[in-house]
Order: sequence, then C-alpha cells, then structure tokens
Amino acid sequence: MIRIGNASGFYGDRLSAMREQLEGGELDVLTGDYLAELTMLILGRDRMRDSSLGYAKTFLRQMEDCLALALDRGVKIVVNAGGLNPEGLARKLDAKVGYVTGDDLKARFPEALTANAYLGAWEIAECLRQGAQVVVTGRVTDASLVVGPAAAHFGWARDDWDRLAGATVAGHVLECGTQATGGNYSFFTEIDVTRPGFPIAEVDEDGSSLITKHDGTGGAVTVDTVTAQLLYEIGAPEYLGPDVTTHFDTIRLQEHERGVRISGVKGSPPPETLKVCLNMLGGFRNSTTFVLTGLDVEAKAELVRRQLRDAIGDEGLTWTLARTDQADAATEEQASALLHVTIKTADPKRAKGFSRAAIELALASYPGFHVTAPPSDGTPFGVYKAAYVNRDEVSAKAVLL
Amino acid sequence: MKRPLGTVAGARSGDKGGDANLGVWVRSDAAFEWLNGFLTVEKLKELLPEAQDVSRYELPNLRALNFVLHGLLGDGVASSTRFDPQAKALGEWLRGREVEIPEELL
Repeated sequence: MIRIGNASGFYGDRLSAMREQLEGGELDVLTGDYLAELTMLILGRDRMRDSSLGYAKTFLRQMEDCLALALDRGVKIVVNAGGLNPEGLARKLDAKVGYVTGDDLKARFPEALTANAYLGAWEIAECLRQGAQVVVTGRVTDASLVVGPAAAHFGWARDDWDRLAGATVAGHVLECGTQATGGNYSFFTEIDVTRPGFPIAEVDEDGSSLITKHDGTGGAVTVDTVTAQLLYEIGAPEYLGPDVTTHFDTIRLQEHERGVRISGVKGSPPPETLKVCLNMLGGFRNSTTFVLTGLDVEAKAELVRRQLRDAIGDEGLTWTLARTDQADAATEEQASALLHVTIKTADPKRAKGFSRAAIELALASYPGFHVTAPPSDGTPFGVYKAAYVNRDEVSAKAVLL
Repeated sequence: MKRPLGTVAGARSGDKGGDANLGVWVRSDAAFEWLNGFLTVEKLKELLPEAQDVSRYELPNLRALNFVLHGLLGDGVASSTRFDPQAKALGEWLRGREVEIPEELL
C-alpha cells in the first residue's frame, strides 16, 4: 500500500495544509494541485510581465517552510505547481528535484496566450523511479499526481487499465482537497466542517484505495462526501484521460471505519488524442453594480440603462437586474435590488471610459443612486478553448536536476 | 408532497470551459429509483430555465445523475458575465427548487 496525501486543490488553497499533512501522521507522497483553466491564464499574464515567473508562487513559500520537514520524514512531494515554467520552479528548490516538461504547445498554437497539453502520469513515475524527492510538473491531468506515484511504487505497466483507472478515481477524489472531506458539501449541517482536514488515498497494488484523512482533523470522509467529489467536473461516465479511460459507472464505494473504500473500477485504453488547454486574450472587461432601493425599481433600472447607453454606446454591455428587493421592507438592504452591468470590448479605452460614464451619473440619475463598489479601470479577460492533438505531436519528458 | 429537492438529494456543480456540470445524488436505492424516473432533461430544464442544451448520464452505482449544461458559461470563467461564472452554486439552486417528492422518501 502507498499513502498519498493532497495538500492543495487550487492556487490559493490553505497555505498551512502542507505542514498539516506532513505533521498529522504517516504519508509516503504528498501531492498538490495548483492549476485550473483560469490559473493557466493568470500564470500566462505573470509570464508576460516576467519570463522567469509562470509558476505557482505559493508553493515556493510552502517549500521554504516545509521542504526540510518533508525530506526528514521521507515524504516525496509531487505537484503541478510548475504551471508554465516547471524548470524555473524546479531550479529554486534545494533537493533532488525532477520536473516534467513538454506540455507547452504555444509554438503550435501561436494565437494563444497559453497552450498546454494535459500530460499523464508516466513522466512523474519516471522522475520518482530515478530518485526524485520532489517532482514539479506543468499541465498534467490532476489525477496524474496520484496515478504517477502509485504506478512508480507498484511498477504498473502502461496497459494495466484497471489499476490505472482505480488510481485515477482516487486522484479525482483527492484533486480538490477538502471538497472530499466535507468542504462545499450539500449535507454540511450533518457534520462539523469548520476546518476540514485534507484527504489521503491509501492505494493498493490492484488500484483500489481507501480514502481517509489524518486522525484529529476536521470534516469527514463518508460515502456521501466522496460521492459529491466524484461528481465534480465530470461529463460522460467514460472519463477520458491521457493514460486510461476510466469508467465511472463501475466505481464501488463502501463505508470503512477509517473512511471509504473504492474498488471495482474498470479501465480501458485512452483516446488517441491529447486534450490541450488554450487561453486566448479575449479583450477587456469592466463592471459595476447599481443599488436600486424602494419604489419604481424597473423604471430606475431603465433610466440607468438609457443613460449609460447614451454615454458609451450599447455594444458589449450585458445587464442583469436581480430583484432582491421586498416591498415595504423593514431594512434598507431588504428594500434594495441590484442592477449589474458588464462591458466586454476589444478596446481598452472603452473599458476604462465605462467607469467614467458610470460615475458621472452619480448626481444625475435615479433617486437613491449608489453603487456597491466603484468600477475599476477595466481588466483584460481570457477566453478558454479546448483543442485536441495527436499524441506524437507532444513529446513529454522527465528531467532530473 | 411538495418539498425542496435538496431534502433528499445532494448536488455538486462546476465548470469545464463554457459548459457546466451538475451532479445530483441521493442516499438510498429507493430514492434513486424515484430520482432516475423523475429528473429527466425536460424536468431539469423546467426547474432551471437557464439550461438549454443538456446531456444526462446515469450512474446507478453512485445513486447519481450527472448533467452537462452545454454553453451555459459562454466562453468560460474568465469571460463569462454570468452571475455565477463557474457554476459553483448551480447544484444548490437546483436543491432549493420545490418538487413533488413521494412521502415515503421524506
């Protein structure tokens, strides 16, 4: 059995989770997911400003605090915090570090700000086989952070479909951290989720696993909390990945005294193509929210719409009126509706001019005019697209420093 | 009896590019038999009128249904002007809708 923990479900997750997982009990490997579709865009903008950046900076802070502790305890660290610059991050760490590269396909998709293929588990496994204490990757599938260490530990073959699928399910449960242990859980009133602990998968040689967490941590691991996370961000029951197709309709969950057993998972060969995460710069956006209180809410909204349209034109404006107001309300807040307006435009000057136009209404519009927060100068926004490429167009590599 | 769906069902939702996914599960075999018959694509669209192009998948082993709401989020989280651009609370919205639930499940 190999104990694989998770200490991060996104870039910005609980900073102390790494230490909590290392000090809370036994572990063999500690993983962390830092990359969402949106994160790739944020890192892409970091990289535009400074080409030495492009990785998750919070992971470096965690390593300053915890790398010695992890090495001391013999716990290996496997994270995708490398983002767009795994080598740059790897070179900042004082340990035997391996990194995974080859996911960056910007040369193939020059129109994109970021273009990264979802790599799989085998380069992670290769780094570990070569003795890496820390493995840093860029865009790999989230579940690969668990599949790679399990495959290296047990010496799985590339066509061990059921084993790979079993570990993929464990990885899917772990990839969002505390969402597996009672965080964001529909039946949250039934358990104490004040500070849920981070999850651990004890993976067996056959790919089955026990989902658990350290003793004394908050939250709970139950069939319901694990089911909730299994349903997160999935599509058809055939869950396509770079290493295996995992059949979610074969998963069996069983309550266990220390958590939940996952077994029975069937796998089959993966698709011929790899998915690519593309982020393009879409233009510029800006928004504000007008508060409409008391009488004539619809007419007040109509006046603001007319005024803003006259000032900057109608193109690219999206309006929503949230009728959160109640008639004859006992508090001012309950008497108020919210009128949201967003502008999306190719022209940064127009996004900035939106602010000025909205604020110039302050003494010249509906009675009770105010906004929840003043509009900013506007920010660039990204457009996400998935693309697919043949496997032979991607050369993933494991590099040991 | 007319009760919020969330009385018997849990849900979790999220984004994949411009699509939203919405998983709904219940906690007994009897409840799944009911849910599977009740929560069709048409019923989901009736309860969440913002949903248009919807795929539905059954996961009886998890007593769950998974819906993909295509195009709900436009060009994805960074560009969407939707109130909840990552569809994080779509499931809780659905759980709050009142539906006719068999009395023996309550």
